[in-house]
Amino acid sequence: MENTTYFGFKQVATDDKQSLVRDVFNSVASKYDLMNDVLSFGAHRLWKRYTVASSNVKVGDKVLDIAGGTGDLAIEFRKKVGNNGQVILSDINATMLNEGRKNLTNKGIFGVEFVQLNAQHLPFNSNTFDCVSIAFGLRNVTDKNQALKEMYRILKSGGCLLILEFSTTDSALLKKLYDFYSFNIMPRLGGIIADDEASYQYLAESIRKHPNQETLKDMVLNADFDFCEYHNLSGGIVALHKGIKV
Amino acid sequence: MQPFAIFWHKQTVILERALNCLITNGKVDISVLNGKTIGFSLQDLPLEMYFVCANSRIFVLPATDKLTDVDVKLKSMVFISLLQGEDLTELLRQDKINIHGDVKTAQLLVDLLKEVDIDAEEMVSKYTGDIIASQLGKLTKKFNPADTQSNNPLEIIKDGLTALLINPIKSELYKHKNS
Repeated sequence: MENTTYFGFKQVATDDKQSLVRDVFNSVASKYDLMNDVLSFGAHRLWKRYTVASSNVKVGDKVLDIAGGTGDLAIEFRKKVGNNGQVILSDINATMLNEGRKNLTNKGIFGVEFVQLNAQHLPFNSNTFDCVSIAFGLRNVTDKNQALKEMYRILKSGGCLLILEFSTTDSALLKKLYDFYSFNIMPRLGGIIADDEASYQYLAESIRKHPNQETLKDMVLNADFDFCEYHNLSGGIVALHKGIKV
Repeated sequence: MQPFAIFWHKQTVILERALNCLITNGKVDISVLNGKTIGFSLQDLPLEMYFVCANSRIFVLPATDKLTDVDVKLKSMVFISLLQGEDLTELLRQDKINIHGDVKTAQLLVDLLKEVDIDAEEMVSKYTGDIIASQLGKLTKKFNPADTQSNNPLEIIKDGLTALLINPIKSELYKHKNS
């Protein structure tokens, strides 16, 4: 079945995945931040802060945040690059991008640009950005290898790719607890708070289908990055991969 | 990952932040190092790190399969004495340091590491087990973001929580809880 891919645990036609993912995010966009806070007990904010702290981004840099959603990373990057830098918040989903725009405006953050784009076809010149980030977005991309190649292309020499994503824990006990939480509690909370149990069932399933730390590292290196390392957060429930283009 | 590997990984993250803080503040010029990868390892302990210099910044990695431009190998006690001010040329003359590649590049890296004020004794003792690792060393003290970037109590609390989550050993909250 060459033209199929996974949407959670389901196999679907490759061409259909994008619209299925779009439906999920259209459905959860308005409650996205609230749900993230509830489901991760606020830890997602710390993971994101750590990502930005690891970015090596400095004043005047150009940063692209892909699948940036409600703009958590873009806000922190904006503070780092200053007025001479450039931060682009992008997402494939217009509803999420609008939530990001509202969120930034409400927080008094200006100077961030918004672009609706597909990570597999980035509309930028080669060697443009000092940093490209994607937080909790790569697992929703249909062709991850193509997206990674595009990220490599638009990075400058010395540029850095940051991938923050759910991953695989080594601890058997943590895995049991996490599986129980993911498949029994998360979808129910999604049903109660966001009135959408199915989307949070997809979230749990898509996490399990996402490549583990070592596999993703190999994918980053195969996309021509010269270096890649990863750092497990919260016991490996989440991992930060950092690719460097020399 | 083994506990020591995790500790070492975190050290590289902190060292990277500290080095780039120096570069950003204009205290050092790394243009000579641009495009170079430098390996740095201790011969008597399984400690190694790699410095990748590009785009006017340094990335510090705990491991790589890539070939390096310069390799610096030395024993842990020599590493400590080097950071405490011992002259690199003198240590080279005494054959206490093994450098493959350009010595000037190695010298610049050593100068950078001296600027960061690494607590090498603590770094090494974590492996040898001489001292309980109650903190990540003086390295973090000099470049604690809470001290250098913000006096905002909310930011300090956020940084504290980040430290607790990412790096419990470093966290003040952890220390208080366990004291």
